[in-house]
Amino acid sequence: MTTSQTTAAVSNPRPSSQWLITLVGVALLIIGCFLSWSYVPALLGNLSVNFFPGAIQIFMIIVGVLGLFFLLLRKGLFPGAHKLLDSARGLRALSVTAAAFMVLVVIVIGLQAPGLANADPGVFVTLVGALAMVAGSFRMPSDPTVDPITVHLPSWVEILVIVAMLTVVLFGAAYALGQEDGTVFSLFLLFLAGLVVALARAGLFSWFGVIAQRNRRVIMLGAFAVAFLFPFTQNGSDANMSIATQVLIFATTALGLNIVVGLAGLLDLGYIAFLGAGAYVSAMMSHSAFANIGWKPPFLVVVIISAIVSSALGLIIGSPTLRVSGDYLAIVTLAFGEIFRLTVNNLDGNNGPDLTNGPNGIPGIPELEIGSFNFGDTHNVLGIPLGRFANYYFLLLVVAAIIITVFTRLNNSRIGRGWVAIREDEKAAEAMGVNVFGLKLFAFAGGAFLAGMAGSIKAHQDVSVTPDQYIFLESAFLLAAIVLGGMGTVAGVLVGATVLKLLPEKLRFVADYRLLTFGLLLVLMMRFRPEGLVPSQRRALEFHEDDADLAERIEDAHIEAVTPMEGRA
Amino acid sequence: MDQFLQQLLNGITLGSLYALIAVGYTVVYGIVQLINFAHGEVFMIGAFGSLATWTIFFKGQLGLWVLPFMIVGAVLAAVVVALILERVAYRPLRHAPRLAPLITAIGISVFLQEAVRLFYPGAKSALPFPQIDMVTGPAFQAGPVTVRRSAVFVIGALVVCAILLWFFINRTKMGRGMLAVSQDPDTARLMGVNVDRIIAVAFAIGAALAGVAGVAQGLQNSNIDFFIGFMAGLKAFTAAVLGGIGNIYGAVVGGLVLGVVEAMAVQFIPGTFGGSPWKDVWAFVLLIVVLVFRPQGLMGARVVDRA
Repeated sequence: MTTSQTTAAVSNPRPSSQWLITLVGVALLIIGCFLSWSYVPALLGNLSVNFFPGAIQIFMIIVGVLGLFFLLLRKGLFPGAHKLLDSARGLRALSVTAAAFMVLVVIVIGLQAPGLANADPGVFVTLVGALAMVAGSFRMPSDPTVDPITVHLPSWVEILVIVAMLTVVLFGAAYALGQEDGTVFSLFLLFLAGLVVALARAGLFSWFGVIAQRNRRVIMLGAFAVAFLFPFTQNGSDANMSIATQVLIFATTALGLNIVVGLAGLLDLGYIAFLGAGAYVSAMMSHSAFANIGWKPPFLVVVIISAIVSSALGLIIGSPTLRVSGDYLAIVTLAFGEIFRLTVNNLDGNNGPDLTNGPNGIPGIPELEIGSFNFGDTHNVLGIPLGRFANYYFLLLVVAAIIITVFTRLNNSRIGRGWVAIREDEKAAEAMGVNVFGLKLFAFAGGAFLAGMAGSIKAHQDVSVTPDQYIFLESAFLLAAIVLGGMGTVAGVLVGATVLKLLPEKLRFVADYRLLTFGLLLVLMMRFRPEGLVPSQRRALEFHEDDADLAERIEDAHIEAVTPMEGRA
Repeated sequence: MDQFLQQLLNGITLGSLYALIAVGYTVVYGIVQLINFAHGEVFMIGAFGSLATWTIFFKGQLGLWVLPFMIVGAVLAAVVVALILERVAYRPLRHAPRLAPLITAIGISVFLQEAVRLFYPGAKSALPFPQIDMVTGPAFQAGPVTVRRSAVFVIGALVVCAILLWFFINRTKMGRGMLAVSQDPDTARLMGVNVDRIIAVAFAIGAALAGVAGVAQGLQNSNIDFFIGFMAGLKAFTAAVLGGIGNIYGAVVGGLVLGVVEAMAVQFIPGTFGGSPWKDVWAFVLLIVVLVFRPQGLMGARVVDRA
């Protein structure tokens, strides 16, 4: 509470013309949303009732309220806060979002109603409001803001902010998953993207990042609580839980890969084979009629065996190849992934021993049972039914929590620092006495161990294992999740995995183009934001070496993080 | 013995195809130390380029005179795509960490496959490749071995391309510039070599050979699909590593060795682990074995550890 209060001067006492124009825009935007937008009730949810805004009208109301908040911020509603957030930049992004959104809505009404004659005045009121916002906000000067690192708020405010943010995430996710209409979902995505951009422009996220940095434990527990509560918002519906479970399996595997790629910098293009190895071991030891191993130990033993088999494969493939440089490793792991797929495809009794039932895979894997708890049954907790997928979801959540804990503990340990040193400069690391080969092998086998663990659950959750689940493209997807989210960060991988798994599920109407988009996305990402959506700061610096400001900020942040601890000690 | 000779010929045929593609990996790697992971897709584009040329201009014609036009079409398509890739995707990343271009390459690879699958008419399933007279048709007997006509074309194409390549690298100014850049880019730049252009030329040469390989693949297998680039690219990369990546002659040798090993594995590995379902496995096992015991490759003298 030092710097922010001293600069609490209000920027401009008299409302300027652009401020007024924007205010009028916001008002029109919100008023328009309460009017009917179209005569046709079946369009875009239902937009035909006055004073009862439909789904997409509520999006615009949220935009309007946020715009109002920014406007009031400029007039010094919250002393000091206008220094923290750049309201003009936020307003600009917000108004562009609103305008683009409304133009799209008008087009959709024109195409699907069909004909603009079916549009009600409300939609045009809102459109004019959005355009007025654009006109006003683009002439608004930016406020100078202070670096969020230097701002200190009371810790209860920070924790409150985190809780609010996580609540928004929980309900946003539940809402997005519940959305059936493809067009409304696309509009929701546009709205969400615009909102995120506006808040990022206003500087909320860098501020939030600083808060998150300071309250790491709170945010970890909070995020876990949100993930834990998610099934309770679904009322026993399996449709969304099945997607959520898939996202979680994907994210868990990606987190394991993140240790290998993100921390140790070993590019593994065959990681899916380790997941597959775990899944196959688990399937072969299950009670399926096609399982070829007679021994049927309890599941907890199977998990350990799967993970050990996976990591043994990792050792076998890693010990010879980790001596060669990065590119070679990438190709060798890719070749290994193919060897795995071809091998399980071949071992059907005609070509080699009958172990994996060939291309048909092992179907009919029974539900998991731990003790007397059967994962296939629906259980009632506090009157809320939790179905099959919810059960697997909770189990996977535990696995994910284990992996995240391993990840963060390793990252902050001697081993993690060794990995980073290897990633940056292998020869220098070796010269400094880092056991390069040992640490690389450990990363490789450790990553395989975690994947094997996830795989053994995946086999039961999917009911069957087949070779074509473990093709190279899946490895590429995993890698893409990491790259998209931000290499070497937990949050980034979770975001990346969610985006990559969720979007194709919800955007079925563009299903045919999803791989094309995926390829393009990878290329564009590497070109324009190689550090990912939620980068670790160290990574960001690696990709922008000549950015002196960034380097200085990161240095400040590190000093900031270290000093209080020394003070205490 | 007869079987051995037959498999040797099959292996050399297969290996010639690998060699033609492998040169593309090795030329680019030798100059910019980049694994152009999307090179397999360039090969696939070449195959589709020749098919498109035939469909648009010569549909129904099967005379041998069409073949040169098809080859030109394939080479053009492959070179244009490779140059665009170099310019748009790789050049901006030249000084980025090494992970970035590799991931970009994976993205391009997926993108090109999907683009062909979605936008080339009928490419969602395999497309028949025109069976040109003389280079396809009934096989002939040469002593104990059966020789397919397309095999003659593939091996011939490799020989011609290898000679042209040798001539280009050792006898032209541009080729010597390439050698200079591969030895030391900075010094080459100081000596007045246009490094950007040399890199583009390296991509173009690799693509041209991949285009020829695309035609060969079409004649050999009598149909093509959008996925042929993945396995072929992986095998060709294996061949390039086998021969010693960065060494152009190594790529040719590596390709031939890989092809022969695969063919022999099908014939001579006893028990249920032989046979064609396992040949890809043996090829990749060979890759791993080579990297373990001779990471510089069979002919390579280049430094491997350039992380």
